[in-house]
Amino acid sequence: MAISRRAFMKAGGLALVSLGADPIFLDRAAYALKTAGGTGSAGKTLVCLFQRGAVDGLSMIVPAGDPWYWQERSRIALPKEQLVSLDGMFALHPRLAPLKPLWDQHSLAIVHAVGSPSTTRSHFDAQDYMESGTPDVKSTPDGWANRFCNHPEEHASTPFRAVAFGPQLPRTMAGSAPSLAIDDLRTFGMRAAQASGEVKLTRAFEELYQGAATGLVASSSAESFEAIKMLKTANPTAMPPANGAVYGKSKLANSLQQIAQLIKADLGVEIAFVDVGGWDTHVNQGADQGQLAGRLDELAGALAAFTTDLGEQMRDVVVITMSEFGRTVKENGTSGTDHGHGTAMMIIGGNVHGGKVYGRWPGLSPEQRYEGRDLAVTTDFRSVFSEVLQGHLGPANISQVFPGFDHAAKVGMFG
Amino acid sequence: MKCIIPVLGLGLRLAAPLPAQAPMTAIDSARHVLSRLAYGATPGEIEVIAHDGVMKWVDRQLGFSDVHDPALADLERGFDVLHVSRLEMQDLQQKNQAKVQQAQAIGDSAARQRLLDEIRTEQQGGRRSLQALIAQLQTVTLVRAVQSDRQLDEILVDFWTNHFNVFINKGQDRPYFADYLDRTIRGHSLGRFEELLVATAKSPAMLFYLDNAESVADGSDQRLAAMQRGRGGVRRFPAIGRGRGIFPNPRPGVFPQNGADPMTPTQLAAKQRAPRGLNENYARELMELHTLGVDGGYSQQDVIAVARILTGWGIDRKDAAYTFRDAVHDNQSKMVLGQQFSGGHGEDEGMRLLKMLANEPATMHHVSAQLCARFVNDVPPDGCIDDAVHAWQKSGGDIREVVRAILHSPDFWASVNVQSKVKTPLEFVVSALRAVNGTPDSTPRLAQRVGQLGEPLFQHATPDGYGERQQDWVNSGALLARMNFAVQLAGGKMPGAVVDLDRVVAVTDDHAALIAAVDKAVLGGAMTQRTRETILKELADVPDPRLARALAVGLAIGGPEFQRQ
Repeated sequence: MAISRRAFMKAGGLALVSLGADPIFLDRAAYALKTAGGTGSAGKTLVCLFQRGAVDGLSMIVPAGDPWYWQERSRIALPKEQLVSLDGMFALHPRLAPLKPLWDQHSLAIVHAVGSPSTTRSHFDAQDYMESGTPDVKSTPDGWANRFCNHPEEHASTPFRAVAFGPQLPRTMAGSAPSLAIDDLRTFGMRAAQASGEVKLTRAFEELYQGAATGLVASSSAESFEAIKMLKTANPTAMPPANGAVYGKSKLANSLQQIAQLIKADLGVEIAFVDVGGWDTHVNQGADQGQLAGRLDELAGALAAFTTDLGEQMRDVVVITMSEFGRTVKENGTSGTDHGHGTAMMIIGGNVHGGKVYGRWPGLSPEQRYEGRDLAVTTDFRSVFSEVLQGHLGPANISQVFPGFDHAAKVGMFG
Repeated sequence: MKCIIPVLGLGLRLAAPLPAQAPMTAIDSARHVLSRLAYGATPGEIEVIAHDGVMKWVDRQLGFSDVHDPALADLERGFDVLHVSRLEMQDLQQKNQAKVQQAQAIGDSAARQRLLDEIRTEQQGGRRSLQALIAQLQTVTLVRAVQSDRQLDEILVDFWTNHFNVFINKGQDRPYFADYLDRTIRGHSLGRFEELLVATAKSPAMLFYLDNAESVADGSDQRLAAMQRGRGGVRRFPAIGRGRGIFPNPRPGVFPQNGADPMTPTQLAAKQRAPRGLNENYARELMELHTLGVDGGYSQQDVIAVARILTGWGIDRKDAAYTFRDAVHDNQSKMVLGQQFSGGHGEDEGMRLLKMLANEPATMHHVSAQLCARFVNDVPPDGCIDDAVHAWQKSGGDIREVVRAILHSPDFWASVNVQSKVKTPLEFVVSALRAVNGTPDSTPRLAQRVGQLGEPLFQHATPDGYGERQQDWVNSGALLARMNFAVQLAGGKMPGAVVDLDRVVAVTDDHAALIAAVDKAVLGGAMTQRTRETILKELADVPDPRLARALAVGLAIGGPEFQRQ
C-alpha cells in the first residue's frame, strides 16, 4: 500500500530530517524543466464540473423520441421546434446550442440514464456518495479524485496537480494527497493594500514557516509559497482568452477561465474541480425560458468559452459534468420536478469518441421507471469516472479509486 | 458519585503531576492547559494561572457550573435566538414557506420576482426572521467561545456538537437546531453520557437529521390507516420528508434563503402516499459514531434490530417536539448484541437500548479515545484512553470524571503531546481574538470568516462532524487564509472583530522590546528564536511604530507557532 507523503510526515516527521533539502523541491524544479508529473499523465487535465442540486437530465438532454416525455411534461416539455436534435432520439436543450459544434466535431459525448446504485434521494447523501465514490458507504474518509492522486510519486507533482475552485476543498478532493483550494487566482496569496506589502508579507511568512514549521504545516505551507511563486512567474491571470472566446460574468465562467489559464501556463494541473449550483428546480422549472434555462445558458456559455479558449489544447483536456441524481419523469403540481434517480452527464474533449449518446436507454413508461417515477439508472457513475480516468489520464488503479466497485461494464466513450 | 483523584491542590506546588520527564515550568503548564481546555490564553492570563495554581484553575473549569460570568450573561441577553422556542422557530419557517409558495403561484414573472425579492430582503434584514436567528446562533457561539470564563464547557460543547453532528441546513433542522445546540448539547455537556445520548436521541433535530422520525415498522402503515379509518378521522401522519432540497451551501458561513425549499402540496401528498418502512440511518450512526464505534462489534442484523426498537420515536410537528407513536412501533421481539428485547414494551425498549449502548465497553473506549484525541493528541495514546475508561467505569459515565481523568493522565502532560495539535479554524479564529483581547461584534461577519477558513459552523453535512486531526484542516490554501486573517486582525481591519492593540502591547520604537512583548502577550512566551529574528528583520524598514506593532502581531498570529496548540 502506498504511504502518502502527508500521512508519512504527520507520523512524526522523523524520517524527513532536512526540510531544506526536501525532495519535493528538487522534483518540482525538475518539473519546471518540462519533465513529466507523477503519473504518466503528463500534460493531461481532467476538469470535473459538479452540478449541485440534481440537474433535470431529461431537460438537459431531451429524450425527444420517447413519447412518455411529452405525455408526462405538458407544461415543462421543451417546444419541439426549438430542440437541437442530436441523433433522432435525443436532443439538446435549446440553451445548450453553443455545445452543438462540439457534438458535430465528435468532441462531446453524452451518457444518459447514469447515476448511483444508492437509492437515496437526499441531496447531501447522494453528493457525498458521488464525491467519495463509494455509494451507501458513509465512512469513506477521502474523495475519489484524491485517491486517484494518492500514489508513491505524488510528491513529484506541482502544487497545482489537484486544484479545486472555491473556498473549501470539495469532498471529491479531500484526503491525504496534496490538493489546493483556490477561491480566485487573482487573490490567492498574501493580500495587502500595496504590492510592496504583499511581497514583504509573503517573504516574511515564508521565512517564518521555513524556520519553525514542522510536519504537515511545513509541507502545506511550502506548497502554498511554491504555488504563489509559480503563479507569480507564470502570471496566468494576465493571459487573455484566445481564439476570440468570451467568458461570461458568472462565477462558473470565471473559474473555468482561470482553469484554462492554469492549463495554458503549464502549471501541471491534472484534476481541476468546480461547482455550479441552482439545479434544484422543484417549482417553476420553466422550459425554453425560466429558471433551468437560465442555468443551462450559463453552463453552455462558460463551457463553450472554455473549449474555444483552449482550442487545440482541448486534445489534452477533458471536461466531465456530474450531478448527484436526476429528477422525476412527471412534472409536479408546481411546474417543477422532484428528486429522482438517473440523469445525464457530458464528457467533452480529449480523445473522447463524441457525437454519441452512451448508455442503455431504459425508457420512460411507468413500468420502465425506477419505483414508477424516476429515470432508471443503467450506467453506474463509477463506470464513467473510471473510463475517463483511464481513457484520458492514463493507467489508474481503479480498485483503489473506487473500492468495492466491479468496473467490468464498459461504457465505451474512449473506445 | 464523585471520584476523588489524589492530586487536588497539586498545582500549587507542582505544575504537572508527572515525574519521569523534564519538568514543565508553571508557565509551560498554564500555557498547555489554556491551549487545550480553553480557546487559548488572553494577554496576561498565563501568568495569573501559573501564579494561582494550574490545577486549581483546571478544577474550577471542571466545576464550571460554579463559575459565574455575569458579563457573558449580559452579552447573551442581546441574542434573541437563545430565547426563542423550537415551536416559534418552526412557525417562522412555515410562515415564510407559505409566503414563498404564494409568491411562486403568481403568474406574472416580474411581479413574482419582486415579491420573492421582498421576502428575501425581509429574511435577511428582519431581526426575528429565521435566517437572522440562525446567523445569531453562529455569532453567539463565537462570543461565548471568546469571552466565556467557562472555557472548558465551551470546548466540550464544541466537542459534543461534532460528536452528535446535525446539519443545520437540512429542512426542519433549520428551526430545530438552536434548541438542539443550546439545550440538548449544552445542557448535558458535562453530565452523564447516558443522559446526553438519550437527549440527542429524543431531540427533534437528530430525529429529523438521521431520518428516525420517518422510520416505521414494516406494515405499520396499513395498521395506522386502519386505525384512523376506525376513528373516522383523517389524521394524517406528519410528512417528514427525507432530504428535500438539502445541499451544502456553496458559500460557507452564509445560509441559503429560507423557504428555498418548501414542500409543495404535491410532494406532501406523494410523501403521504409513498410506501414507508424501516429506515436504518439513525440506528447505524448511533452505533458507528455515537456509541460503539465502527469496529465496535455490531452486525447489520444489530443495525436492523436497533432501527426496529426505535420505530415510533418521532416528531410531533404540531408541538415541534419529540413524541412516541405506539401505532408505528415494531412490536415483535428483537435481539441486539446478544441481548433479547421482548416486544410490546414500546418506548421503554428504546430507553433500555440506549442505556445498554451507553455503557458498553466499546462505547467507553470509542468515546474516551475521541476525547483523548481532542485533549491530548490526534492519535490518542493508549494509556490516556485506559485512564479515561477506568474513570468512566468508576463513575458510571460521568463526563466530568472522564475528562478529569484525561487531564490528570501522564499522557496529557507528556512533552511529546505539548503543542502537538493543529488548531481547527474555529480554534484559530477564537484563540486569535483572545490573544489580542478582541471581541466579536454582533454581526455574522466573523462567523463567515470561520466558514471561509473551512469550518462553517453547524454546516457539516455528514453525521461524522468536523474532524479533529491536522490533515482535516491543513492545506495550502487554508494556511494562506490564516496568514491573511492574522494580518487583517492585527491591522484592526477584520470585519466582525473589535480589536484594540493598545490593550495588548504598548507602542515602542525599540523593536526587540516590541517583539518580546508580542511573544509574551500573544504567544505566551513560545516564540522560537528563528521567528524572533525573522520578525526583527522585517521590522527594520517599518519606521511607523504603530505599523511595526501591527506587523509583529500579525506575523506572530499568522506564523507557525500560533497554528499549534
